Amino acid sequence: MDTEERRAERRIDRQTLLKWAAAAGGAGVVAGPSGVADAMRALSAAESGRLQVLDWAGYGNDGGQAMFAQYVKAHPNNKPQFTYMTNEADALAKIHAGLKPDLFRPYVGWVKYFATSGLVQPWDTSKISNFKHLNPFMVKAGQYNGKQYGIPEDWGFDAILYRSDTVKPKAKSWGLLYDERYKGKIAWFDDPVENFTIAGLLFGFPDPWNQTDAQLAQSQKFLISKKHLVRTIWASETELDQQFASGDVWIALAWPNDWVQMKAKKLPVVYMHPAVKKQRPIAWVGMFMLLNGTPRPDLAHAYVDAWSSKASAKWLEDNYGYGHANTQARPSSSDLLRVLDLSNPKAVTLPNAYLDRDVPRRALYAKMWEEVKAS
Amino acid sequence: MGRGEGVLRRRFNLTTPSLLGLPLAWLGVFFLLPIAFVALYSFDVYTLYPGAHGFTLAGWRATFHEPIYLRLFWKSVKMSLTVSAIIVLLAYPLAYYLALSGTKRKYILLLLLIAPFLTSYLLRVLAWKVILGDQGVINTFLFWTGVRSPGHPLSQLLYSRFAVMLVLGYIWLPFVALPIFVSLESLDRSLLEAASDLGASRLQAFRRVTLPLSLPGIFAAFLFVFIPTLGEFVTPSLVGGASGYMYGNQIVDLFGTGFPDWETGSVLALFLLVVVAVLTIVFSRFLQPRQVASG
Repeated sequence: MDTEERRAERRIDRQTLLKWAAAAGGAGVVAGPSGVADAMRALSAAESGRLQVLDWAGYGNDGGQAMFAQYVKAHPNNKPQFTYMTNEADALAKIHAGLKPDLFRPYVGWVKYFATSGLVQPWDTSKISNFKHLNPFMVKAGQYNGKQYGIPEDWGFDAILYRSDTVKPKAKSWGLLYDERYKGKIAWFDDPVENFTIAGLLFGFPDPWNQTDAQLAQSQKFLISKKHLVRTIWASETELDQQFASGDVWIALAWPNDWVQMKAKKLPVVYMHPAVKKQRPIAWVGMFMLLNGTPRPDLAHAYVDAWSSKASAKWLEDNYGYGHANTQARPSSSDLLRVLDLSNPKAVTLPNAYLDRDVPRRALYAKMWEEVKAS
Repeated sequence: MGRGEGVLRRRFNLTTPSLLGLPLAWLGVFFLLPIAFVALYSFDVYTLYPGAHGFTLAGWRATFHEPIYLRLFWKSVKMSLTVSAIIVLLAYPLAYYLALSGTKRKYILLLLLIAPFLTSYLLRVLAWKVILGDQGVINTFLFWTGVRSPGHPLSQLLYSRFAVMLVLGYIWLPFVALPIFVSLESLDRSLLEAASDLGASRLQAFRRVTLPLSLPGIFAAFLFVFIPTLGEFVTPSLVGGASGYMYGNQIVDLFGTGFPDWETGSVLALFLLVVVAVLTIVFSRFLQPRQVASG
């Protein structure tokens, strides 16, 4: 607990954070003067302007600097400029509305959607020196039609975070999100698909990601009937962490980072992976994708290479409590190693978890979810 | 004389369009044109996604075929009506005191009323979270007095409809007080003297003179709150939780956070616009003091 707390304190301390960022950058320079990196630097020198990155909150200049410090050091004139996305659908809307990022980060369930949308192009993995260290299973999940559309980076789970002093689950089940005993103390996640997927897992549907009309109707009816138990539907992690820390919420669908944050605040919390019957947590893997027609492809490759380095990976694990696809990295905390099952290269798939996947009728799921919120 | 008048009129005729031109152009480019775009999205003439499309009313039909969105709209109307009515009632005595009590400090008091606006909107809303939370100021006080046990806080205070209405009321109260204050301030005092000379009691004078003459201010104040709160989405997203979700949040989510559905989002946005426009036209009749007085 002590190390956890200290780590949290350090995380808040901006100066330390900046120092770390600089250190990580320095490490990257020492570790990476390979021929590939030099050649890339020469190549990308021809590209101009700041690299446009569409990414999630926490992964930009708002705390994630250490993970791309190597890039900033090598390309001081092309520093990344961030626009934030709250989820993939939001990114899609922003891109359609005219935003022109060079790269962005959807999660594994969207690889097929974007690969077939014509919005993105495959990466040239020979330009990413750290690519060979990335988890082969996750690398494969980033492919579509044999081409590498997604470069896997961060990964983790969607599972249930609860307060162990006040909540006594009957089983390791998703059912805790709909437990009548905790009315007004539950938070759901505002995602256009996942609430239906979870309901589908609870009902034991054969394919919760591709439910029939009748199954979708059943899931929707269920969610509407349980909505009165829900205090908040969180859209950003900071929102959830604040609600959880203030005691307004006791049970939430959450990410490993939230567990790390709450432990750092010394709250008695458990991060529960559903395990009854066929229920499992849902695993996700962040996939950098390269936009079609970007004027800065080499800079984008260099940026992804920085994110894929061992130093960045370890920083992410230590500070955000997420896994990283770089298999060389290990977090300092053994607790985290256990919760993320980091020594298992296939932690993100069965029998451990369901890897999030393509949803053929995504728009319909989303429409029905909006109706749940409006009900 | 006649010639001079003609020159004046011609000059006047040239001045008016040039003075009005800029604001009208502004209105056209930044208000009417965007609304036209939204309308085109709602009829599927424009879409977010590439592919075949053309004019259709399907979006409108689909949106209002299911009662879910109408029910959400009605819920938002009820919340906004409640907030507007309550704060008009609260603000009236305040404005009355400031305008008619004859206190010399009225402008200082008015400044105090507006003082919260000197701080950020977000900050003020977030401060309410500290006050209303399960471990917040009110609940802690209730625990301390023993009214509630620490395991059972009043959780309806935050992330609820109540929280949204309370915060909206707090935010908009000065906006309500100001138009009422202005209408009372410009009241011709000699009318009150005349009423009292003719034997009216103070209550009668208020009922027959002050109140009718301040009605335009009341209606203006009411509209000032009702229209923006009906489409409100920031406050409910901060303190509303799942049950305080309003119509405005739905529009935002359809455009942005959910899987983008600009067609439905545009239908909902236009519907809101039409309702507000109709209400404004109806109420604007009451904003003319003479009509009220004679009617």
